[in-house]
Amino acid sequence: MIQTIHLSEHVVLRHYPDSRFKKGALSVQLLRPMCQEEAAKNALLVAVLLRGSAACPDLRRITWRLDELYGAAISTLVRRVGDVQTVGFYMNFIEDRFALPGDRVLSPTVEFLRQLLLEPVVAEGAFDPDFVESEKRNLISAIESERNDKRTYAAAQMIRYMCQGDSFACPRIGTRETVAAITPKSLYDHYRSILRTSPVEIFYVGSAPAEEVAQLLAPMAAALGSHGTAAPTQTRFVPTVPPREFSEQMDVNQGKLSMGFTTPVNNRHPDFAAMQVFNSVYGGGMTSKLFMNVREKLSLCYYANSGYYGSKGIVTVSSGIDEANYETAKAEILHQLQACVQGQITQEELNSAKQALISSLRSTPDSPGALESYYVTSAISGMAMDIDEYIRAVEAVTVQDVARCASTVQLHTTFFLKGVSA
Amino acid sequence: MNKTIYDRLDETVWRTTLPNGLRICVVPKKDFTRKAAYLVTDYGSIHTKFTLDAQPFTTPDGVAHYLEHKMFDLPDRDVTEEFAALGANPNAFTTYDTTAYYFTCTDHFEKCLKLLLEFVSTPYFTQESVEKERGIIAQEILMYADSPESRVFEDLAENLYAHHPIRVPIAGSVESIQAITPQTLMQCHRAFYAPANMMLCVVGDVDAEAVAAIAQEVLPRERQSVGLPDLGAEEEMQVLRPISRRKMDVSMPMFQLGFKCPAGLTGAEFAHWEMVAELASEALFGESSGLYLKLYEQGLIDSSFGGGVETVEGTAMITCGGDSDAPERVRDAIIAQARRLGETGIDETEFARMKKSFLGRRVKDLDSFESTCFRLCAYEFEGFDYFRFPESFEGLKSEEVREFLREHIRQDNCSLAIVEPLEQKEDI
Repeated sequence: MIQTIHLSEHVVLRHYPDSRFKKGALSVQLLRPMCQEEAAKNALLVAVLLRGSAACPDLRRITWRLDELYGAAISTLVRRVGDVQTVGFYMNFIEDRFALPGDRVLSPTVEFLRQLLLEPVVAEGAFDPDFVESEKRNLISAIESERNDKRTYAAAQMIRYMCQGDSFACPRIGTRETVAAITPKSLYDHYRSILRTSPVEIFYVGSAPAEEVAQLLAPMAAALGSHGTAAPTQTRFVPTVPPREFSEQMDVNQGKLSMGFTTPVNNRHPDFAAMQVFNSVYGGGMTSKLFMNVREKLSLCYYANSGYYGSKGIVTVSSGIDEANYETAKAEILHQLQACVQGQITQEELNSAKQALISSLRSTPDSPGALESYYVTSAISGMAMDIDEYIRAVEAVTVQDVARCASTVQLHTTFFLKGVSA
Repeated sequence: MNKTIYDRLDETVWRTTLPNGLRICVVPKKDFTRKAAYLVTDYGSIHTKFTLDAQPFTTPDGVAHYLEHKMFDLPDRDVTEEFAALGANPNAFTTYDTTAYYFTCTDHFEKCLKLLLEFVSTPYFTQESVEKERGIIAQEILMYADSPESRVFEDLAENLYAHHPIRVPIAGSVESIQAITPQTLMQCHRAFYAPANMMLCVVGDVDAEAVAAIAQEVLPRERQSVGLPDLGAEEEMQVLRPISRRKMDVSMPMFQLGFKCPAGLTGAEFAHWEMVAELASEALFGESSGLYLKLYEQGLIDSSFGGGVETVEGTAMITCGGDSDAPERVRDAIIAQARRLGETGIDETEFARMKKSFLGRRVKDLDSFESTCFRLCAYEFEGFDYFRFPESFEGLKSEEVREFLREHIRQDNCSLAIVEPLEQKEDI
């Protein structure tokens, strides 16, 4: 079972022993407030760190090192978890038993990660200007490529309006302007400051015992979080702008509808499990009310689904439709919400929704990536249930519970991205 | 059933072929809760022309995908709801040359398996339900039409191939699907969903004998005839169009570069060729290559860049792509680097490191039940046991990679598809 070890006051290791996998996984994340001032710097920082360390001073040497570690993979983590932004790296690597006889993978992987995080390429109190400039360009193009995926774009436009004033409206990886303003020196100062003042979450899953992992991580932990402060507290979303319905035009074939709803039920609320069941009944999968009605009964779309952001208490609905069907689709989406409020939920619908959630929870321990994501995000968001408790809470949910949750869901913002051609 | 132990992968596989021709393969995963089952037919979007029992058929573009959507219908039953009641997630996808139906579950595995086999082997298409699906699929086609990633790859296929059906998008077009009727779907099901044209693969903590017994019980007993696809004449190696441009609402230009390679190998030869091709792509433009670093540092590519080998029955290509302000310069640099590597060869230390990495990544992938299932099936259709990759890999020589680059990465078998923003930025 999972074990929590304090490597220092503000550095926590969550160790999940499991020998069933071919690979182990390790993540290291600094916890920052999710805010406009920092988002771009945090996103840029990990990209710059991944360009080189003192030991592997360019991209090619980094990749060589990863290749020597049997194709170990590393990716940057810049997650949004409610009001927290995480800044760090995720790695996976083959278990030592699949390496050539006598070869080790875990130990050199941890050392590689330590060097990457703590020994960057620095000159005169600043990061390498070439690294910073090219990663700024990449980050700006990543920010601007949001509009390439119209569904993501429509959802983001809706959230940017609805959540004004809340950290949820804050772009996760910054804006063109905030990225452009960063210099090699200002980024390095930011790095120095957050390295010492952020709480740190480390997660490991694999076959190595806790003591060994803690020992391997000790040199890294010693340099982190010494003036640590507690992670920012999580707040519930409360709108500060009036409800609104608006649209925008783009050169697209298919319109994208995105609706935002609020609920006081978040993942610290006693009704959290019931709220998850509601989301699953309403628009969670192929047997949900939205799928069965908006798609299957009315043939209005290929997709219509809902999402629930438990750390904030936000429900969203998205669907790709013809502009001519806008009113019909919207009315049907709200009509299905009303059906939930009135408790018009069959036993089959309830069971399917619960089964889907339970299956996905029961599957979580079967994947290193799913384990990492479950335990790290629940620790940061303050969701106190472990997987078994969560399953029991879902099992106990009734139609009345779902209807009660549905009745708290209030439409706030409707956004429609429509095509230019009539 | 036959048991094979793969020491190097720490895996065991149970295999059998039923009298009706269905190939079954079970990978037991002790102590895992999750189970995945894939039922895959060797039939995809490119197989629109075929002969069955000496009779020729020409079916509309997009029919394999339409059929995939409609297979979920059973008389007076709702397959999705039945799966949902068992806590399972069923799904399906159509590729150019296969159609896969699958589910993952934690409980009630045998009931789920039975249901999967039942619905895929029961053709039931009413006028009304086929009609109703048309609107849904049309919306799906429009969704892909708005996706620059899909469009740029489809453009590349159209540029590279003169007549191979890979030129047609998998789902067909809003126009082509209008001609699809219950009769069309019935013909295609009869031609390609015979057990002899399919494979069942299960990964999870299950009893292999029980899997075979359920398949035996649910599926037709006798061997049925299978459609013989006609992909047209073999393609010349020269490309139809060296470059194409399309304007879409994207933030910066996006490209796919492709090199057309000879197709037609099968079995171990195919698997060997594919590994050489994969290593050649890695050596040429992979993240550990000198060229990748140079292009990245020059700002000509970013982390969206990637590529490798693509093989679809009757075609083979090396592709790469991503976002770039200057796709033509990326293309020229890749061709020039291939020429250089063709002359100098690949450094042996580097080659050994690439092999180590390639092996490690394939081993790690085995933790994914879904990709293991699908790969076992897809390679089986090519006549190769996927779990033999460590052995096949060992014998590979750097000289083969060099030879590959010299032979297949050239100006005259190459095409570049570009999607450009609606208005060109002025500073370019």
